[in-house]
This record gives sequence, C-alpha cells and structure tokens, in this order.
Amino acid sequence: MKATLTRRRLLKLLTAAGLGAPFATRVVADEADASIQSAPSPENIVVPVSPRDRYPAVLSRGRVIQPRRPLAVMHETDVLVVGGGPAGFAAAVAAARAGSKTALIERYGYLGGLWTGGLVLLVYPTHATEKGVRTKVVRGVGDELLERIARYPDAATNHAAGKPDPTTDPEITKLVMDQMVREADVTMIFHCWVADVVMDGNAVRGVVIESKAGRQAILSKVVVDASGDGDVFAAGGAEHEQRLHAVGLVHRLGNADRADLDALRAAGFKNLGEIEPQPSVRWINLRGPSTDGLDIAELSRLEIEHRRSIWQRMERIRQSSGGDKVFLLQTAPQIGVRITRLLAATRQLTEAEARSGVRPADTIAVGGTYGPGADNPGFAIPYGALVPKKLDNLIAAGRCIGVDTPMVEDMRLIATCLLTGHAAGVAAALAVEEGCRPRDVDILRLRQILLHQGAFLG
Amino acid sequence: MAATKLRNVRSRLRRRLIRWSAFAAAVALGWPGSSEGPPECAAVVLPALSPFVALGSALSIRSVGILALLALPLFLLAWSVRCGFCRFACPVGLLQDTLTSLRSVRRRHWIGAPAIGPCLLIATATGAVLGHPLFLWLDPLALFAAWLNAWRTPIAWIAVAGGLGLPALLIVELFWPGLWCARICPLGAGQRMLWQGHRLVVRLIRGRMHYAGPETSCGADSSGTVLLARRSRRHFLAAGAGVVGAAVCRGAYGPSTPLRPPGAASEEQFGGLCVRCGNCARVCPSRIIHPDVAGRWSAWMAPRLDFTHDYCREDCHRCNAVCPSGAIARLSLAEKSRRVIGLARLDPDTCLMALGRECNACVRVCPYKAIAVDNTLDPFSPRPRVDLDRCNGCGACESVCPTRPERAMRVRPVDRETGDQAETQGAFFGAFWFEG
Repeated sequence: MKATLTRRRLLKLLTAAGLGAPFATRVVADEADASIQSAPSPENIVVPVSPRDRYPAVLSRGRVIQPRRPLAVMHETDVLVVGGGPAGFAAAVAAARAGSKTALIERYGYLGGLWTGGLVLLVYPTHATEKGVRTKVVRGVGDELLERIARYPDAATNHAAGKPDPTTDPEITKLVMDQMVREADVTMIFHCWVADVVMDGNAVRGVVIESKAGRQAILSKVVVDASGDGDVFAAGGAEHEQRLHAVGLVHRLGNADRADLDALRAAGFKNLGEIEPQPSVRWINLRGPSTDGLDIAELSRLEIEHRRSIWQRMERIRQSSGGDKVFLLQTAPQIGVRITRLLAATRQLTEAEARSGVRPADTIAVGGTYGPGADNPGFAIPYGALVPKKLDNLIAAGRCIGVDTPMVEDMRLIATCLLTGHAAGVAAALAVEEGCRPRDVDILRLRQILLHQGAFLG
Repeated sequence: MAATKLRNVRSRLRRRLIRWSAFAAAVALGWPGSSEGPPECAAVVLPALSPFVALGSALSIRSVGILALLALPLFLLAWSVRCGFCRFACPVGLLQDTLTSLRSVRRRHWIGAPAIGPCLLIATATGAVLGHPLFLWLDPLALFAAWLNAWRTPIAWIAVAGGLGLPALLIVELFWPGLWCARICPLGAGQRMLWQGHRLVVRLIRGRMHYAGPETSCGADSSGTVLLARRSRRHFLAAGAGVVGAAVCRGAYGPSTPLRPPGAASEEQFGGLCVRCGNCARVCPSRIIHPDVAGRWSAWMAPRLDFTHDYCREDCHRCNAVCPSGAIARLSLAEKSRRVIGLARLDPDTCLMALGRECNACVRVCPYKAIAVDNTLDPFSPRPRVDLDRCNGCGACESVCPTRPERAMRVRPVDRETGDQAETQGAFFGAFWFEG
C-alpha cells in the first residue's frame, strides 16, 4: 500500500517537473528499457498545477516559526546513501551488490562530487608499498570504475598495470558512474539536499530532503553519510569536530596544447596546472584561503572572488607571449571545500596508529601512500572510524570519518574515499541483512564480503 | 736475584691486570650497544676523563664546567705516578702495546725523532686561548670513544668513517712501534710534563732543604742546557704556531657553514673544540648527525646535520648532554628548542604547493607551527611562509619535503647571505669521500 503511494507521488512530482510520463516511469520505477522510444510529444504545453502541501513558516513575535507538519515519504529503502561523490558512489554500488535495496541521493545532477564537479581529476593515492612492492590498494568497486573509465578513448592517463594515480576525464567519469549505479540497481535520486534526519530514539531512520518538489522524507534501515561534510550525522546529533581548510576553485584551460607553456612559466605563471587525458586541456588548482566550508556567506564570497581572479589571470595569460590561443574552458561547478566536519567515531584513527603499520582485526580498507611517504606501506582504516560513538543506524564514509587532523590530508583524497565508501556500503548492507545495528556488524563477515567484492585488506 | 725476578713478574702481571681492567671499563663505558647497558649520557664520561680535553675546552670557552671534575682523577694520577696514565689506564696504549708484542720486529727507527707531543700540547693550549684548540681531536680517549661510537646500530658507513682515527693509529704502530705513545700523543706529553712539574716541585722543596747542594753542579750540565734551550725554543715556536694556527682556522670558514647540532659553539671555534668523539651522533635518535666528511679542513669530520631522512626532534636534547669538550653546549630542552640551528627557506620554483599541487607536508609537520600558507602574493601559487621568529631550523619541513633531487624547503645556516654558493667551500676532502 505504502509503495503504491510513493510511486504515485513520484509520478506526480516528475510530471510536474515537466518530464514526459513514460520517461518518468522509466527512471523512477527503474524499469529502464532502451528499446522503448518515447513518443514525440508537443513542447510547452499547459498542464494542471500539481497540488503541493503548504506549511509556510510564520513570523511570530519576531521569530520565524516553522509549523509542525507531516512529511510525505518519497521513497523507502534498506540502505540510503547520502552524497554521490567517490565515497557515496562506492557505498551505493557495494551495498546494492551485497544484496540490499539501495538508494543514492545527490545534491547536484551528476555523480562524482569534487572529482567530476570539482574538477579534481587526479585520482590518488591508488597504491601503497606493501612488503617492498608498489601494490594497488584501490581494488573492488573503485578499481572497476577506473578500469571501465580507461576503456574509453582519451578517458584516463597514467592508467596501466602497475601505474599509480590516473587522471580521468570528468565527463566519462560521470558516464561510467551512472552506468555502474544503474547496473547495480541503485535507485538514483539527484537534485535534493538533506535538510534533516528522521530519528527514532537514538537511531536514524531516514532523512528529510529538500528539492524543487518541496520537503519530503526518505526512510531507510541504515544511512551511509557520504555527504563529505557529515550533514547527516551532524543533524542526527552525533558528536563531531570541525576544521577549517583552504577553499578553492579549479578551472580548466582550453587549447593548452597550442600554448607555449615554458614561455608562460618564464613569464611568471608558475602554476599551469596538471595534464588531462585530452592534451588540449589542463586543470588548474586554486588552493584558496583557509576558511569555514559550511558558511554559505563565505562560500558565496569565495565563488565570486575566485572566478574574478581566475578570469583576471586568464586575461594576463592571453596577453603574454605563448598564451594568446588559450581560453578559459570552465570553472568547476562545485567549489572545492577540503574538510569541514569530522565524526567523533568509536575508534578515532590517529596518524601515529596509521603510520605504525599495524593492521588491526577490524581493518576494512588499506589506504594508499604517495609523495614523500610513497615508500611506506598502506595504512589500515579500522571499521570503528566509520561508526559514530552513540548515534545508531548510521555509517560515515569519505572525508568526514573519525580521524585526527593530520590524517585528514589522507582521508579526503579521492582514492581513499573510494575505499571507505566501499567498506561503508558493504557494512550497511550487512547490518540490514543481519538486522543489527551497524556497530554490531560481524567484522569477520564484513571483511569476507569486502574480499569477495575484490577489496584489498592487506 | 730470583726473588727480584719473581717480584718483576708479579708486578708485570699486576700491571697487565690493571690495564685490561681499565680497558674493559672504558669499553663498557663507551660501548653504544643495547638499551640495557649504561645510560647514553655515560658516553660523555670516556672522552671527558682526559685532562687534555678538559684543559683545551676550559681555555677555549673560558669557563670550567662540572665535566672538568671528571678529568681530575687522571690529572692526579699523572701528577703522582710517573706515566701513570700510559702505564696503567690508557686503552689506546694497551692496544698498541698488544699489537707490537705480536710482532717479532720491534726496531725503533724513529728513536731520533723529536718529541712532537709537547709541541702539539702547547700549540693546542695557546690556540685554545684564542678560542680554537688545534689538536684537541688527537686526544687518545676521544679517538677511542669515536671508534667505539662507530659501532652504534644500525651500522652506517659514515659513522664508521668517524671512528677510523684509532685504526689509523694502529697502522702507525705497525710501521713505527711506540712512536705515537712516546713522541706524538699530546695527552702522554702532558702527563710527562706534569711529572716533570712534580719532580721540579719535589726538587725545589728538597733544594730548599739542602740549599746549594752538590746536585746543582752536575757533569752533564752543558749538554743538558743545550737540550733544554733547544726544547724551549721548539716549545716557543709551537706556542706561536698555535696562535697563528688558531687565527687561521678561525678565519677559514666561508659562506657555506654547515648546519651544526643545536647549541654548537660558533663556527669559528667549533672545528677546534670538537674532539670528534662521535658522542652526539651516537645518541641522536633521529640519526641526523654525521661526521662532516665533505667539510672544510679546519672542521673536517666535525658533526653536521643532515635532514634528508629525519629532523632534530622537539622532545630531545641528548646531544647537548654528551659533548665532552663544550663544542655543543649543555642545554636544557627549553633552551635547546630556542636555539636556532638554521632557518628554513623555500625555493618557490620547485615547491609543489606553489605549482598548484595539494602538498602542505611542511605546514603539517612543523613542530613549532612556524609555517603558514601565504595566498597573498599569487593565489594560484600559494606558498609556505616561514615565521622566522618561530623557526629554529629543526629540519622537520626539509625531511618531509617531497621535491627531488633538491628539497624545495631547506634549512640554511643563519649567517649565510645567499643560498647560491652551497657546498662549494667544503669540497676539500669531499671529493675524495663522496665521488669515490
């Protein structure tokens, strides 16, 4: 009964959004069939306005009061993954493959988060030096993704057997992520923000989302918080810390192959970015000042300031000899917030522990090493670093898991997010299957399933 | 007759027993072995026992520390017993005598050679007055300690190189048995001078007792006077050489002064004050102190810091506790952390952060929070900026800087004007050791 209601609501919502009914059915009910062609339909037609629950906030004695209101349940699932970045993507695919009914919600209209939307195209660290040998640690879901991206022409550089840290094309990355999510039978819901959590005592039972269709609820047995900023665990009242870090904006240089980069460097443009699979394009990192990535006033200011300084520099490049052909291809759709909230986990991973080389029994991933530490073995990530101290039914993944300040620099990297996401997804599916709290998941089985899915656990 | 022989044998046996016990004690004191052994600060004892080191150090730094007390027993021994140290306590002498006793040929071709030891001693003393004791490093106890310290584990060739003084002496002993002890060793010379002083005092006392006694008019007087005159002229020249040498050595340091351990004496003094015993390198938990094999001649083999693999830890001041000669000052942990080894300086042309990469290794690792990211100059090339008031040159940033072959972040000596002429001055012995 409830499920019928959900579908009807969804149909309504998507009709209202101006999509054709057959298309909506296909996407929402996930009954995709490429052979069905949508019938030609007239554009710009008048449809009846879809009725919408209205509970506007009211001013009451100078304070804005939101009235008590029932929320429509848009969707119900076993595992709900919040955030479609590298961690959320890996979590959703892994949970679905482990047999759970899985949904993935994402605030933008594509997967990949800062990888594709932030244009941070270098995937590292994918390798660590295990027993003296450079070993791939990103295996399983993440590795499959990279492999499939690399099959496309001009989609990945540096991607060959034994080669660490590829750079991928953002559009093909989005495309392959879409494919994998669909193949795994994950219900994909774009264009919604998590506004709050649905609590049942100390346990999270779902999230409240906000979108063009208004405020709705999604119910689930376990939530994976891969929002990057810990939006879900913060809303759920889990203990956490907060960090300031540089907030920047990546942009891309077009016609880079027609520019004289050495001349530009000599002219003082030190940072001419990194290579991309397309030789005509380079992506340029703008680190930005250290600030609070949760403060939208600050983020708004930086968006404007960064775009201004990018354009200014671009003009100077074009006026310099060797740079007249280049153009500003794109600034990243997503501003580059590096770290904000950090979960206070049941087992905080410290740098000392990570560097000790110890592989505890609850190791659910081995993080890669790079740069000056490239010769070091990978560091073990314990399951406890993903689990909040008190809050139940929630597993964190990605950069916001429970680590100390120095480890942030490792946890926030794409390759490591793919690893923690993979583990969080499997753990969530296992908690659903065993009918237990995520903190009580059988670690042995968790590791078994991870290994079965191809993960590297040292 | 037989009784005398027996007494001789017995006294020789007793002497041998004492010598080997002293040798064993010296090895036990200085051996850089396990953690169960004596505490590491005991390493300071062996070289500090030498009155020669104590004298040179006290004259140079113009203060007498508590370490000088350690030299008192040997001083008294040398004063009261003729050649007391050489005959009973010197581990180097024992090794040399043992080596010689194994050989059949014991000819002493060098017997006519002049005694250099007193000259070395005098030159060192006069040099020390100028702040640069010239031959302090020839102290046999320091050489012995350096040899022991070379065997710290894990064994590194550069540490072993620092301990090669003793093997060199033994090779000298193979070709010229007894030469070192009788003619060169400045500690032995000092001891003999002490004994002469003792005799002089005794004679003076006796002389006062029998005023103008028959001993004053001796038959061999004229040749004795000639000898004495020749010797005193030689000693006078040595004293002058010491002064000149010290002045030359103090002036002979260029713009590329190497990084020294925290609390090291000024560069113009350091090469002289340091006895090259290797204690500081031995106790350093980071293994960043190495003998400066590429150093300039006047400070050759003196310790220098190398931040390639590690840095001077903020929780450690062990090298400050083990220097026997005061080349590295005895500092508390708080004093040491304020002492500036050098200053970190960035090469913005190779710095990864300035090239737009996600590297902030130096910012993260700085134990003194002296490095911050500077976005102001060019937001596309932010760079680590060193707060010179906080930086003490511990090298943590340099040790983690990922750029190769040269680190973008390097600790430079404070007094160097520009970073350009790095390591050109000190190539004197360097080519021999490094490029070989």
